Amino acid sequence: MAQRHHNMNKISSYIRRKLSVKVSLWVVMFAAVIFIAALGIFFYQAREAVRQEAINRATQILDKTSLRVEGILNRVEVATDMTQWLVQRHPNNPDSMFVYSQGMLLNNPDFYNCSIAFEPYYFKEKGRYFSAYTKFDLDSLRTIQGGSDYYQYFYMDWYLMPTLLDRPCWTEPYMDFDVSTNSYEMVTSYCQAIKDNKGRKIGVINTSLSLNWLSQTISGVKPYPNSYSIMIGRGGTYFVHPDTTKITRQTIFTQTLEQPDTAMTALGHAMQRGEQGIKRMSINNEDCYVFYKPLGKTGCSMAIVCPEDDIFSGFDRLRRAVMSMVIMGLFLMLFFFIRIITRELSPLRRLALEAETIASGQFDAQLPELHRTDEIGQLSNSFADMQQSLVRYMGELQDTTAQKASIERDLHIASGIQMGMLPKNFPTYPDRDDVQLFASLVPAKEVGGDLFDFYFHNEKLFFCIGDVSGKGVPASLVMAVTRSIFRTVSARETEPHRIMTTMNQAMAEMNQTNMFVTLFVGVLDLPTGHLLYSNAGHDAPLLIAEGVETLPCDSNIPVGVLPSWSYTRQEAQISTGTTIFLFTDGLTEAMNADKEQFRQERVDAVAAQALEQRSYEPRQLIAQMTQAVHQFVGDAEQSDDLTMMAIQYIKKQDDPDIHKTLVLSNDIQQVPRLNDFVQEVCADVHTPAPLAMQLQLAVEEAVVNVINYAYPPDTTGDVNIETIASDTQIQFIISDSGTPFDPTLQPDADTSLSAQQRPIGGLGIFLVRQIMDTVAYRHDGTHNILTLTKTLKS
Amino acid sequence: MTFMRQAAYLFFLLVMVVAAPLAAASDDTIVFTPQWTAQAQFTGYYVAEAKGFYREAGVKVRIEHPSATQPAMSRLRANECQATTLQLCQALEIVDGGIPLVNILQTSMNNAMVIVSARDKDPLTQKGARVGIWSVGFGQLAICMSNKDHLDYQWVRFAQNVNLFVSGALDATLAMSYNEYYQLLQAGIQMSDKNVYRFCDHGYNVQEDGVYMTRAYYNQHREQAHRFAEASRKGWEWAAQHPEEALDIVMQYVNKGRIATNRVLQRLMLTEVLRLQADRESGKREFRLRPDMVRQASRMMHENKMLSREVTYEELTENESPQ
Repeated sequence: MAQRHHNMNKISSYIRRKLSVKVSLWVVMFAAVIFIAALGIFFYQAREAVRQEAINRATQILDKTSLRVEGILNRVEVATDMTQWLVQRHPNNPDSMFVYSQGMLLNNPDFYNCSIAFEPYYFKEKGRYFSAYTKFDLDSLRTIQGGSDYYQYFYMDWYLMPTLLDRPCWTEPYMDFDVSTNSYEMVTSYCQAIKDNKGRKIGVINTSLSLNWLSQTISGVKPYPNSYSIMIGRGGTYFVHPDTTKITRQTIFTQTLEQPDTAMTALGHAMQRGEQGIKRMSINNEDCYVFYKPLGKTGCSMAIVCPEDDIFSGFDRLRRAVMSMVIMGLFLMLFFFIRIITRELSPLRRLALEAETIASGQFDAQLPELHRTDEIGQLSNSFADMQQSLVRYMGELQDTTAQKASIERDLHIASGIQMGMLPKNFPTYPDRDDVQLFASLVPAKEVGGDLFDFYFHNEKLFFCIGDVSGKGVPASLVMAVTRSIFRTVSARETEPHRIMTTMNQAMAEMNQTNMFVTLFVGVLDLPTGHLLYSNAGHDAPLLIAEGVETLPCDSNIPVGVLPSWSYTRQEAQISTGTTIFLFTDGLTEAMNADKEQFRQERVDAVAAQALEQRSYEPRQLIAQMTQAVHQFVGDAEQSDDLTMMAIQYIKKQDDPDIHKTLVLSNDIQQVPRLNDFVQEVCADVHTPAPLAMQLQLAVEEAVVNVINYAYPPDTTGDVNIETIASDTQIQFIISDSGTPFDPTLQPDADTSLSAQQRPIGGLGIFLVRQIMDTVAYRHDGTHNILTLTKTLKS
Repeated sequence: MTFMRQAAYLFFLLVMVVAAPLAAASDDTIVFTPQWTAQAQFTGYYVAEAKGFYREAGVKVRIEHPSATQPAMSRLRANECQATTLQLCQALEIVDGGIPLVNILQTSMNNAMVIVSARDKDPLTQKGARVGIWSVGFGQLAICMSNKDHLDYQWVRFAQNVNLFVSGALDATLAMSYNEYYQLLQAGIQMSDKNVYRFCDHGYNVQEDGVYMTRAYYNQHREQAHRFAEASRKGWEWAAQHPEEALDIVMQYVNKGRIATNRVLQRLMLTEVLRLQADRESGKREFRLRPDMVRQASRMMHENKMLSREVTYEELTENESPQ
C-alpha cells in the first residue's frame, strides 16, 4: 500500500515535471470527455432503437400467433354453433346426435373430438347417461356413447361452465390420455349449452381442439438465442415452458408461494386478466423483458421472455468494439502527442542546460543555434540578447564594485581621521585632582556628524559637544570644520557665548549647504568650579550631584543658521563632586525595533540610578548609559550618531582660614576702614609686611575706583569687599551694584608719563595687575564683580 | 386424465354404498389403497413402505393407488385391496349404508375443510351463492353448516380441480386446507382472513382421514391389521421428524404416478397435514378416533338427514361385537 502510494507520488511528480506529458494528458483528457459524451448519446439512442426493435419483433410474433389461434378458434365456434342449431332443431332423436357429432369431425378433420351430452335421463330409453362422442381413432372416426358410471360427464367443467357462466365458453386446457396412441394430448374444449324451446338446458355440445400444434408453435418462438416462450392457462398453469417438468405441474405462481416475487406475481395476474404488455423484470437473477398477450378466447396467455443480454448482445458487441477502438485511439494520441511535443520542446531543454551553465558563472557559454521563427526561436534570440546584456552588465558591475571598494577605503581612512580629531586622553583622578572627564562617540555610519572636544588652558577647562545636521560624509566635514573653528576661536575668547557667536558668524558665512550644528560650549573655571556656558540649540546637559537636574539653558538657534545671532551667556557654580553629563540626541532618540525612542526620561532614570549607586564617575556613567541604550535598542540598526561626555568636578576646595566681609558706602572717607580691614586679613595669614602693603595698595586702588566711578555722582551705593584667605592664596572679591564697568578692559596706563599727566584710573588698574596674580571681572546682571587673586608663596 | 381420476373416486364411493364385498383376501398381503392419487396426504404410508417399517413389522403391504381403469372400491370388492383411507364423515355414511368398517388408524385430529370465496367476500355474507363441492361426497359438514346458518348455498358438484372456481363460474368453493387451498393460491387467487372460512374455527372441528378395513376382513386378520397400523404410525412419526427426506419419498411416488403437482405444493401439503395431526387440546399427535367428534359428526349428519341413524364410536372401533 505504502509502496503504491509512493509510486503514485513518483508518477504525479513526473507528470508535473514533464510539460509534454502534462499538455498531452490535458488534450487526451479533453478528447476523452468529448468522446464519452458523444458516444454516451449515441449508445443511448442506439440502445433505445434496439429495444424498440425487440418490442416490435416480439409484438409481431405474439400478434401472429394470437391471430392464428383466433382463426382456428373461430372455426370451432362457427362449426359448434351450426351443430347446436341442428341439435336444437331436432332434439328428440338421440341417434341423430351420433350423426351430428360424427359430421362435425368429418367436416373438420383438424378438430380433436366432439361430444353432444344430455342431462341425466333426458332420453328415458338411454338411461342416466347419454353423450354422443366422436374421436379420431388413428385414421378412422370412432363414434360411441361416452357417458358411464366411470365418466359422469355432468360433473365435468366443460358440462358445468356454459350453464354457470350462461354463455358458450372455452375450458382450461387439459391433458387427455389417448389410449390408441398411448400419449397425452393437450386439449381445450369449446362448450355450448343446448336448450329446449322453453329455454331450459337439456345438454351441452362440446368440441375439442388439440393444442399440440399451438404448444409446438409457441415453444419454437425464439426471437433471440436465449429467449423462450411460455403459455399459461387461466389458473396460471404452465402449458408451454422450456422446463418441461413444469408443464401442467406448476403455475406461474408456484415459486412465489415459497419466495415472494412481486414482479412475477404481477406478471401472472396481468396475464390471467388477459392483458397485453411488456414487463422488465428479473427471472432467475437475470434481467429480462417479458412480452405477453392473451391467446384469443382460450383464456390462455402467451409470453416471450427475452434476456436483456440477449436483446442487446449485438449492441454490446458493437459498443465494446467502439469503446476499445476509442481507448486505443486515445492511447495512441497520448503517445504521439508526447513524442511530438517532446521533439518540439527539445531546444528548450538545451536552452535550460545552457542557462544553468550561464548561471554557474560561464557568461560566455555558447548558445545553441536555432533556426526557428516560432516562440521557441524568439525565446532563444531573447536569451542570446540577455546573455550579451549580462556580460556587459557584469563588466559594469565589476567596475562599480571596484569604485565602491575605493570609496569604502577612503571612508575608512576618513573615519580614522575623524576619530583622530577627537581627544583621546581623558584626564582622570590620579593625573588631575580637579576634574575627571570621559567621552564616547559612536557614529551610525563610517563617519559621523557628532563632535565633542575639550582642552585645558589657564586653569580652565574648555569643552564643547555638538551635533551636525544630517549624517555621513557631509556631516563629518562640517563636524571637522566646527571642531577646528572651536579650537581657533576659543584660543582667543574665554567667554563661551563669545566663542559661540564668533563660530556662528564664521560658519554661517561659509554655509552654502544649509547645514547647521547644535552646540554646547562650556568653560569651567577649575579653581573655583565656576562654569560659564552657552547653548546653541543643543540638548541641555544633566547635573548629577545631590540629585539629577537639568542645567538651565536659554533657547538659542543652532550654529550656522543666522550669522547675526547673538548667543547668550549663562553661568553656574559647580560644586565639588558634581558630574556634568552632556549628550547628543543620538541618545534620547535611539530607537528599538518597534520604532520606540529611548527618550529623556530613560536618560534621567539611568542617571538617577547611577547616582543612587554612587557610580557617576564619568567612565562608569558613560558605560552604564551605553549599556542601557544597547539593551533598549537591541538588534535594531543604530539610527544616529551617539555621543556622550561626562565631566566630574572633583576639586577639593581648601577651607579658607579667613573669610571676612566688609561693606563700605561709596564715600572716600571709608578708605581707612578698608585699609584696616586689609591689614587685619594680611596679619591673619601672616603675610610679610611688604606684600601686605602692596595688597593694601592694590585693593585700595580697586575700591577707590569703584567708590569714585561706580555710582553716578550724588547717589549712595554699597561697595562690598569679601576676603577669602588661606596660607596659599588670598582673594578679594569686590562687588557693587553700580554701572557695569569692566576695569580690566581699560588700557594699561602709560607709565612713561608722570602721575599728574596720566588719566585717572589708568594707573590704578595697571598697579592692580602688577601686584595681583589674576584680575577677573564679571557682571552677574546686577553686580560688577571684580576678583583679585594673589597666590602666596609659602 | 384429471377427470378420469375423479371418476374413479365417484365409482369407488358408489360401490362402497351399493355393494358389500366381504370376501377376504386369500393372500396375507395387505393391499392398501389411499383414497386419492399420490400426494403428501399419504406420506406416512409411503415412508413406512420405503423405509421398510412394514417389512420390519412382519406385514406384507403393497400400496396401490386407484387408477382410471381400476377404481379403488372395485379393488376392495374384488379383494384386490384390503385397506383404504376415508374421511370420518364418509366412513359414517358407508357404515350407515350397511357396510361395517373398522378404523384401524386415525391420523387426522382436526378438520381441514375451508370455504374460499371469490372477490374478497366473506362466505358468511354470500347467501344463495353458488358453491363448488366435490362430487365424490366430501363436504357433509358444509351442507350442515349451510343449513344451520340459513345460507342456502347452491351446491355445484364438480369432479375436477379448482378450474371452475378460477374461471369465475362459481362464487365460492370448498377446499381442503392442505390441497385445494394451496392449488388456489398457486392459481393466483388471493387469500385473506375475510374470504376464507375455516370450519374448524366455527364449531365443526371433526377429524378426517383414518385407515379403514371392512370388519369382515379385520376380524380375520387382526394381528396383521395391528402391525400394519403400527408401522404406518411409525411412518408418520418418522415423516414428522424428517420432513425433507419424507418429501423425497413422496416425490418418488408422485413421479411414478405422473401426478400434475410439484414439490412446492407437496411440501406445503405435508406441513399442513402434519399440523392437522396434532390434537388441538393436547398438542400431540394422538392417532386416535375421538368419541366426541364421532358423536358430533354423527348427530349433525343425522339431523341433516344424511344418516338414517346415529353411527356410534363403538361401531367404528375394533372391539365392537359383531351385530
